[in-house]
Amino acid sequence: MSYKLVTFKNVCKNFEKIPAVKDINFDIGKGEFLAIMGPSGCGKTTTLRMLAGLEIPSSGEIRFNNRLMNNVKPHERDTPLVWQSLALFPFLNVQENVEFGLKMRGLSPKIRNKKSLEWLEKLEVKELAKRDISTLSGGQKQRVALARSLVMEPEILLLDEPLSALDAHLVIRMQAVLTQLQKELDITFVYVTHSQSEAFAMADRVIIMNVGEVSQIGTPKDIYRSPTNRFVAEFVGRNNILSGKVYDIKSNIAYIKTNAGCFNFQLDKNKPIQKGDKINYIISADLMNFSSVKPQKSNIINCRLISEEYVGSIVTLFLESTDGTEFKIQITERELSKFNIQNGNKYWLSWSEKNVHVLIEE
Amino acid sequence: MKPTKNNLNIYSLTFRLPIIIWQLLFFVGPVLFMVAMSFFLVKNYRMTEAFEFINWTKMFSKNYFWDSYWFTIIIAGTSTLLTMLIAFPASFTLAFKVSDNIRRWAIFMLIIPFFTSYLVRTFSWYVILAEKGVINAFFSYLDLGPFKMLNTHIGTLVGYMTLTLPLVIILQTVTMANIDRNLIEAAYNLGCKPKSIIQRVIIPLSKTGFIIAAVFCFILSFGDFVAPFYLGGSQEPTLPILILDTTKSGQQWPRAAVVAIVMMITLFSIAFIGIMTAYSKSFKK
Repeated sequence: MSYKLVTFKNVCKNFEKIPAVKDINFDIGKGEFLAIMGPSGCGKTTTLRMLAGLEIPSSGEIRFNNRLMNNVKPHERDTPLVWQSLALFPFLNVQENVEFGLKMRGLSPKIRNKKSLEWLEKLEVKELAKRDISTLSGGQKQRVALARSLVMEPEILLLDEPLSALDAHLVIRMQAVLTQLQKELDITFVYVTHSQSEAFAMADRVIIMNVGEVSQIGTPKDIYRSPTNRFVAEFVGRNNILSGKVYDIKSNIAYIKTNAGCFNFQLDKNKPIQKGDKINYIISADLMNFSSVKPQKSNIINCRLISEEYVGSIVTLFLESTDGTEFKIQITERELSKFNIQNGNKYWLSWSEKNVHVLIEE
Repeated sequence: MKPTKNNLNIYSLTFRLPIIIWQLLFFVGPVLFMVAMSFFLVKNYRMTEAFEFINWTKMFSKNYFWDSYWFTIIIAGTSTLLTMLIAFPASFTLAFKVSDNIRRWAIFMLIIPFFTSYLVRTFSWYVILAEKGVINAFFSYLDLGPFKMLNTHIGTLVGYMTLTLPLVIILQTVTMANIDRNLIEAAYNLGCKPKSIIQRVIIPLSKTGFIIAAVFCFILSFGDFVAPFYLGGSQEPTLPILILDTTKSGQQWPRAAVVAIVMMITLFSIAFIGIMTAYSKSFKK
């Protein structure tokens, strides 16, 4: 991280004594695309609102460029927010909406007109300048809302689930628009979402929050492949998580006993594991192999196919082992077509001991 | 269920017919009769059927009619303006500064005045506004007054507000309480100062509700007989008082009908213009 634009230090926020955010610490780098992700009620929106000054932290410090911001009023900050509901003013037309912030800054009508049209053009909605907000489509409103915030030319842009109301194909397009804008303008983006695909597709770093606390901070890859706790492992991706006990260690391979059977994994030098440790044994659904004949390997399990789910070219299969443990596996539709798939039939799942991620249970 | 193309099926008629009959019988009928009556003549204190324009020309040529007309518009307009202004701080507080629970109770309290007859509430002002009433008693302590409030325009305005203020506060409160808070926060977020928020966001967003409240207030004041008669002293008659006077003096029901029709046309136009502006799209200062 080059330069720390924002620092959160021991920040807490209580609503009438009910904690919404508990002692969070993190930095936001200049020009970074940071996503804050978590289930609803995890405190992600409260965190964003504290950045905008719409909530005052109960304790702790929030600093911008090293300046303490705790009690700086929202209108005295330069932290435009793109709202989930977009919050466009229905009594103003498109251009007047974009000009609103400039007008509050006391800029002359001439400059306002020039800047607003410039930004509407950048977001490819210039031809809508005189239109009424109610006549716009969802995607158009989205672009106008972005223009209204970006016209302020801020150092940091806050986004609160801005794409949640859009159709799937529009979401993909707007993701491209957002990442491109962010790179081009070199503005810090703080993006709150509950959608993993949005966060992972756009962000440089992701913060996972749960019940008011930061669960993990890292790059999308870190979080996807090496979750540091069970919550993240369950929340992110389609992971198969088995609990078990290490019963043997030979050279760099550890052996574990779970309800579903005995498996092994390669030891990581950085993670000391001893005999008798209770661990969470995690295999990502996309790192599993699927076959109809028994493979000659160590980590295998025989499962009954319950159902399948198609998302584009990727298929998720849901299976159940003889002891009732659920397994998920993701393979391409193309690969799956080689098999004669039928619900209720038995298949073999296997995985390499190198692809196992292990968490020691506390 | 799909709406049937044939609107006049028996099922829908059973529900619509009573109200249609009611409206025809007690609204359209009397109005038409009143219009017809405005062309009747009065001979020897008795109304006779005719079709003469004399009532219209007589009334329109009288200065006292036009004085009364403009006076009624001005005093009802003043009342509307004052009521809207006095109601605003109360409604603003109820909409934004108190909990939902307190707001519910406040609205309930504002409905309570309507339990009592408006006439009774008007008479209670006698005690307060009279020359030896509560207010003047207070001023006499300060060696001021007595001030004449009864039988003045102040009395009329107080009477109008007794009728309209609770209603206007309710309408304004409900309008502002329904504003999307995100829009207010968005304005702050874009640098709008707290003191400009009312003018920049709250009033534009409340336009429809506020105009409807004002239209209600004007209609109620314009057509009210009680306040100008009992508290205003009726020296300067408003149109409702003029109607009463006209019927009393020489049984001139047809001429009273002329006044009533002029009132109805005025109110229709004002309500129409009001609703049109309330729902018009653009809001320019």
